[in-house]
Amino acid sequence: MSTDAPARHDASGAGPSARDEILAAVRAALPPGVERPPAVETLASVLTAGSLAETFIAAATAAGAEVTSCDRAAARVALSSLTAGARSAFTFASAPSAAPGTSDPHELADLDLVVCEPALGVAENGAVWLATSDSMARAALLLAQRVVVVVAERDLVRDLHEAYARIDVRAHPFGAFVAGPSKTADIEQALVIGAHGPKAFTILLVHDHQTGEPS
Amino acid sequence: MTRPAFELPVVGATPVDHAANAAAFTADAARTTWHDESLWFVREKRDRAAASVPEWEALRARASAIKEHALTHLDEYLVRFEENAVRNGMQVHWARDAEEHNRIVHGILADAGARRLVKSKSMLTEECGLNPYLEARGIEVIDTDLGERIVQLRGEGPSHIVMPAIHLKKEEVGDTFHDALGTPAGLDDPTALAAVAREHLRARFLAADATLTGMNFAIAETGGFVVCTNEGNADLGMALAPVHVASVGIEKVIPRVEDLGVFLRLLARSATGQAVTVYSSHVHGPRAGQALHVVLVDNGRTRQLAREEFWRSLKCIRCGACMNTCPIYRRSGGHSYGSTVPGPIGSILTPGIDLQRFASLPFASTLCGSCTAVCPVKIDIDAQLFRWRQRVVDAGYVPRSKALAMETSVRVLDRPRLFRALGAVARLGLRLLPARVERLLAGPWGDARELPAPPSTSFRAWYRRNRRGGRR
Repeated sequence: MSTDAPARHDASGAGPSARDEILAAVRAALPPGVERPPAVETLASVLTAGSLAETFIAAATAAGAEVTSCDRAAARVALSSLTAGARSAFTFASAPSAAPGTSDPHELADLDLVVCEPALGVAENGAVWLATSDSMARAALLLAQRVVVVVAERDLVRDLHEAYARIDVRAHPFGAFVAGPSKTADIEQALVIGAHGPKAFTILLVHDHQTGEPS
Repeated sequence: MTRPAFELPVVGATPVDHAANAAAFTADAARTTWHDESLWFVREKRDRAAASVPEWEALRARASAIKEHALTHLDEYLVRFEENAVRNGMQVHWARDAEEHNRIVHGILADAGARRLVKSKSMLTEECGLNPYLEARGIEVIDTDLGERIVQLRGEGPSHIVMPAIHLKKEEVGDTFHDALGTPAGLDDPTALAAVAREHLRARFLAADATLTGMNFAIAETGGFVVCTNEGNADLGMALAPVHVASVGIEKVIPRVEDLGVFLRLLARSATGQAVTVYSSHVHGPRAGQALHVVLVDNGRTRQLAREEFWRSLKCIRCGACMNTCPIYRRSGGHSYGSTVPGPIGSILTPGIDLQRFASLPFASTLCGSCTAVCPVKIDIDAQLFRWRQRVVDAGYVPRSKALAMETSVRVLDRPRLFRALGAVARLGLRLLPARVERLLAGPWGDARELPAPPSTSFRAWYRRNRRGGRR
């Protein structure tokens, strides 16, 4: 298994490679094998607070996001007013977007707003899955002062187990669960929003009900 | 309180005297209480987060089983991770020890002509002493996690693996920023200080030639890895720098993507009480035009894996929950351990690197077991602490005074008559001697405690008088 190993850089020219020595040391050290636990285990629900949407809204709000539940028309209105007020904006969907005007992510250093459509939202922790192969989109997500995500209620899943069953982490070089604006509590545990990345995180949670219809 | 940056663990270096370091820390009683309460606050947040998940215990059991499976098949999973990582366009390097790791990282940077490196949190690189190694070779190294940047500017090491500056007050951070970043004297508002750090570090991110991150999890099945942060610093570095180096201990490999569901549900809840970190970033290859290097590091891990009594310590996912709950850590501070990873988990990992140097760490515990109770991967930390104590004694690394006290105890407890006679002497002595002398005899326990009033008689005598049908 080690003979057909892929090419690798090795610091030492002579003698056994670090790779072979480490793997040999691992094999010599292995404790008696422990079986892998069963692949799927039914776990109790974390949804004690009601529907997926209610749980998601509570979790995302706790993570510092501002969540607005709205129908498609209202989402369009909210989105256009957000982008109209922005100094600069960048939009990407989970699928790679059309190539932007430049290919150096440093050009986005002063970006004000990024709008994106995550593939799914996770009810238990308020995170959304954002994945991209586009270097500009990836940088925009971190460089922008504000993030707006538009997620459909039907794209909510219960927990991370369901989320991983739904996504393919290999589809793009980069994918992240993002829960709210960037934050730190490194000075005396005081919560500060906007550590390195976005200072504001707005979620438009879009449902298909008619306005006024009880959800 | 300024301490020198953490030194590389070197066999034969001066042994760490945890008790003496703790005594220096607790000399400031108000600060000790403040530190204790800060960490207990985090522990309570962890409790609420854990209680909100009905299947918490099932998750812990599953996480533990996955890690034990992965570690007992580590060779297979490392090879699979490497194959898939290379397929994803990463360059994989292997390092037997800290020196080799540092040499590899420096080689990558030198080949790329990189002079400015931005780092996100990596306890492994602290363990390897990477920063001083690179700085000595003319590379500017900027730690970008706010807590790590603060301790870096102060010339200290992190005192906690999740909250590196938890030992500092905001006034001290304000002074540090005033000296290093030119903030107004006396500015100590955390929001204002963090805003200054954001601007200061944003410029470094934009100017960086290379970035270095750790990994929370390396995934064998896909050849990708996951980095978790709240600040987004790892992501900014990865998104901008043309060269990315990701260093990881070999024990961090997990078999499958689906395992992440288990670990990510446990990690942040255990660490800070959040449901999940703000960024849980999955990397499965370089950006277009970026070079992505992975360095797999042993540095003593295979030796720990070979130890029947201690290999399960390698299950650790570095959440820090055992530190936040530990009555000794909370009242002695992370620096008192003299080890990259402090607290209970550090006290079972570090003796495996250098038993003589870290012989005092397994004794930095009350063996209360609170660490084991909160550990998300169910490491039997308190039992391993106890076993390390035995190894320390076997190796002859306990202070002579402690060994003598134990040997004397054995001799006395072995001889019932001698034990009874000495008991009588002690009861008499405690009644007659002044409190000052009594405290002296009690050793460290007497430092802040009055000894209880002695009973008038021994339990044995009391029992003989009071047992049913006993002699009266």
